[in-house]
Amino acid sequence: MSAAGFLDFDRVAIHLGGREILSPTSFSVTRGEFVCIVGPSGCGKTTLLRAATGLLAASGGEVRRNGKAVTQPSREVAFVFQDYGRALLPWRSVKGNVSLALEAAGVPPDQRDARIADVLGKVGLSRHADKFPAQLSGGMQQRAQIARCLAQKPELLMMDEPFGALDALTRQSLQDEVARLVRDEGLTVLFVTHDLEEAIYLGDRVIALQANPGPGRPSLARMIDVKIERPRDQLSTKEHPEFLKLRRELFAFIEQSHD
Amino acid sequence: MTELLHMPRRLREKLRPAWFPLAAIGSFEWYARTAGQGSDALAPPTAAVSALWRALLDGSLLEATAFTLGTAALGLLVGTLLGVSLGIALGLSRRAAQMGFFSIEVLRPVPSVALIPLAMLVFGFGVRMEFSIVAFASFWPMLILTQAAVQQVEPRLLEVSRVLGLSPAQRAFKIILPAIVPRLFVALRLGVAVALVVAVTVEIAANPHGMGYAMMIAQQSLDPALMLAWLIWIGVVGYLINAAALRLQQWVARRMGAPA
Repeated sequence: MSAAGFLDFDRVAIHLGGREILSPTSFSVTRGEFVCIVGPSGCGKTTLLRAATGLLAASGGEVRRNGKAVTQPSREVAFVFQDYGRALLPWRSVKGNVSLALEAAGVPPDQRDARIADVLGKVGLSRHADKFPAQLSGGMQQRAQIARCLAQKPELLMMDEPFGALDALTRQSLQDEVARLVRDEGLTVLFVTHDLEEAIYLGDRVIALQANPGPGRPSLARMIDVKIERPRDQLSTKEHPEFLKLRRELFAFIEQSHD
Repeated sequence: MTELLHMPRRLREKLRPAWFPLAAIGSFEWYARTAGQGSDALAPPTAAVSALWRALLDGSLLEATAFTLGTAALGLLVGTLLGVSLGIALGLSRRAAQMGFFSIEVLRPVPSVALIPLAMLVFGFGVRMEFSIVAFASFWPMLILTQAAVQQVEPRLLEVSRVLGLSPAQRAFKIILPAIVPRLFVALRLGVAVALVVAVTVEIAANPHGMGYAMMIAQQSLDPALMLAWLIWIGVVGYLINAAALRLQQWVARRMGAPA
């Protein structure tokens, strides 16, 4: 690898309980890219994302962001957890939850309200600012978590199966909202999912991992570029010949890697 | 009696828990005024109530109550502050918990009233000896329950605090403390009960102040009405304090977004 990229995975390997979960894996993410990681359960995709955030240390290799090894979380990297119900502070309103990110970053109190209103507007939660998480639907709770992440003003957004627990319609509208937000904010995204269609629909690139790596069977199984123009649309994009071709290709791979 | 049967149902249901105490007091009154008349141990409840009234008028009721409650509150405050802060430290750090385990398990079973002789030697009679024993007694439940509460804080929230970059102080005050508030209130209600029991016990056994001592004096001067009056009063105070703690707990829970 020549120059330091935005985010470099350099032979990152993960072992849990003496078992190899992720064989040494290398790839790079450029600034502004939307990269989706797909794979069956147990292939190490969430662990890889957590290692890239600095929430845990990889067993081998390293992740470098802007040339520096990632050893602990940074405010420039936001993390959207799948279980929004546990990631939100139940005793704080939506506004208070967003405020937590600003308090952590040391934003002066007189500037907080404006920034909270700004991010809540972006995720469409302006009218629910004073509600507590328990009073919101799952989709709205996940929006609140995304708002909190945006308030961090990150350059990199890590999303760990963020829509996995939502119903199909809510998931579609959140997919479109996230795609729009990412474009507007110029974010780089690493998005973990087990849903192939979601990965192709959202990603500029899809990385497919397979479980049970071994000799001659690396964890990183496929890396495909999604050359479908943006903005994408739930109907026409999913009927696009390229979309269908990629879906077929990945689907066949997932099928065969399950044997 | 027929009038009672015609009461609205709701009122009758509200009065239902009162039947037993009313009947018990009534038969006690009847017994004390007939077979038990002239007893040195028992007095009719009406006599106890008028003794209570006299104690209120001469100021001894308020003075003794203020002493006991003030000392118990002070001891509980100190015990709670120490217990909660140490409990948070032990809950967060496994190493600290391992280091503290042996000392805690040795000291905790010491009955707090067994410290009365020592406290009397160190502090003499008065507020300090009583409040130090109350603090010791309430320290343990607060410590143990806080430690358990911290260990049960949602791990995801601790990850959120890491990802957002909260400082250790912010993590303690914005994540951990609010997260353990519901359990802390359970501990606090237990602590309130312990503090009252220990304070009155210390007064009965040693400290010549407060409600426990007033009750002892009434007993020793063969005034069963006044003794009974204090007994009733201590019960009423205990009930009111527990009810107030419960109300406070519900109020805080609502303010913290708990579904009503």
